[in-house]
Formats: sequence, structure tokens, C-alpha cells
Amino acid sequence: MEPSTVLIALAALVTFAALLGVLYRVTRSRTSRVSASASVSGIELGGGATLLQFSSEVCSACAATRRVLRSVSDEHPTVVHVDVDVTSRPDLVSRFNILQTPTTLVLDSRGVAVARIGGGVRRETVVTELARALDSSPTSQN
Amino acid sequence: MSSRYSQIDPRGPRFSAAITAVLLLVAIGTALAAGTPHTLQERLVQPSFVLFVVLAALFAWGAFAGVARSPWGLLFRTLVRPRLAPPKDLEDAAAPTFAQGVGLFVVSAGLVLYLAGVPLSLEIAGSAAFIAAFLNAAFDYCLGCQLYLLLVRARIIAP
Repeated sequence: MEPSTVLIALAALVTFAALLGVLYRVTRSRTSRVSASASVSGIELGGGATLLQFSSEVCSACAATRRVLRSVSDEHPTVVHVDVDVTSRPDLVSRFNILQTPTTLVLDSRGVAVARIGGGVRRETVVTELARALDSSPTSQN
Repeated sequence: MSSRYSQIDPRGPRFSAAITAVLLLVAIGTALAAGTPHTLQERLVQPSFVLFVVLAALFAWGAFAGVARSPWGLLFRTLVRPRLAPPKDLEDAAAPTFAQGVGLFVVSAGLVLYLAGVPLSLEIAGSAAFIAAFLNAAFDYCLGCQLYLLLVRARIIAP
């Protein structure tokens, strides 16, 4: 292959990788609303809401997510942060179809999942979703 | 959480990934320029083949000795980290070590197919490894975060 063709091929490869990276950045920390009736058992729930984090051993974004969730839950006395290793709860992993770590579920006071955040979390996202969970909890409405 | 692995500065693996990405790019360029020779003897002495063997050896070093003890990890610790501010938090060495294993697997597959005479095998395997290393270095993308769980769920690796 000609040197100029080689350079064009390499430039195309770098561009492609950069586009994948931009796509990853855009979709990171995507939040979706979870339909009700999916309540979680076997973990200690917070009185107001629970931040349920799924972590794995092979996960570099889990530590940063743990730090954010811990600090948010520390600010709310009724909110608990629970960190679950995926290998210890395969039932929850298949029930919620967890495909990446970290994945964070925001549970209301009944343990019903109301939001799901895939990938590393942003603090603002967590605060917004937590406010929604606290609103939807029957205890906080009384 | 697990403590089988030591805690490391997360910028170390990204530094290593940046060097690895550049080396992979050079190796892919060399392979593209040379093509795949017809005889095994010729293929064995191709500079591109030798470069990929060196890269596979570096991946193996990181995967088996741990990223902190790999050449780039040592370089980071002795030359780069003393010049940086302390990290916000440390990470478990498990994720980047797993990534080195993935790199070793991909590059080894490319080497085997190349020796068997399959055209473009080094280029394609190298490109896959390059994309992973580039995303790690430039975008802090964590391959293990996505891949590990899929392998566990498919029961390919035991938890």
C-alpha cells in the first residue's frame, strides 16, 4: 500500500474512534424512568428513598459513582445508599437487566424503582431523580 | 468491595493506554504498508509482525504482572505522577488489568490469523485494540464496565 493511502487509512481509524468516543460521552449517564411494580427485596431500604448502585470488580467508574451517591445520601437523612456487587445478586441483575456497571436505580420508600441511571452518574442527575422519588413516596406525601 | 487488587491512581492506566494507542497506530500503519506475504518464513520476519509480538508481550506483562508493574505503569509512577496533583480517588487495579487481558486476547488472535495467512488480520485486530485504548485514553471509557458483566452473565467467566 502507498504511504499516502496508509496515512489516510490511519486518519480514518482515529476519526472513527473519536466519533465513538463522542457518542459514548453523549449517551453516558442516560436516565430512564422505570415502570412501577418492580420492587426490590433483600436490601435495606431508606425511609424516604434508596440509591441502589450495581458495581463490579472490573469497573473504574464505580468508585466515582459511589462517592457521588454517598455524598448525596449523606445530605438526606431519609435516603440510603446501597452498593451491590453484581456477582452477589444475580437475581437483581437479571430482573433489572443490568448490562453495565455502574448502574444506579433510584427506589422510592416502598422499594419501587422509579429511575435508572446507566454508567457513571452526574450529581445533578441524581439530585433531580431523587427529588422525584421522594415526591412519589407515599410517606412523604402525608 | 474486593481487595484482591491494589488501589492505583486512575490516571496511570490512561497514560499507558495513550502510549499503547500510539504504538498500535504505528504497528497498524506498518502492517498496512507491508501487506501479508505469501510464505510463513516471510511473514515471521515482517517488521509489522515483530511490532505486534512486542505489543502482545506488553499486554501480557500488564495482564499478568498487574498494570502498576507494567513498563508504562512504572514510567507513570516514577516520572509523571510526582508532577501531578494527588488523584481525587483511587481505583481498583482489577478493571485496567482486565483490559490488558482483552488487549492480549485480541492481538494474539490477530497474530495467529496472520501466521495462518489471513489478509488484514493484524490490521483488523490492531484497530480493535486501538479503538479500545484510544477511548480509554481520550474519553475515560471503561471497557471492563461494559464487557465484564456480559461475560459473567453469559457464564464465560466465573464470578
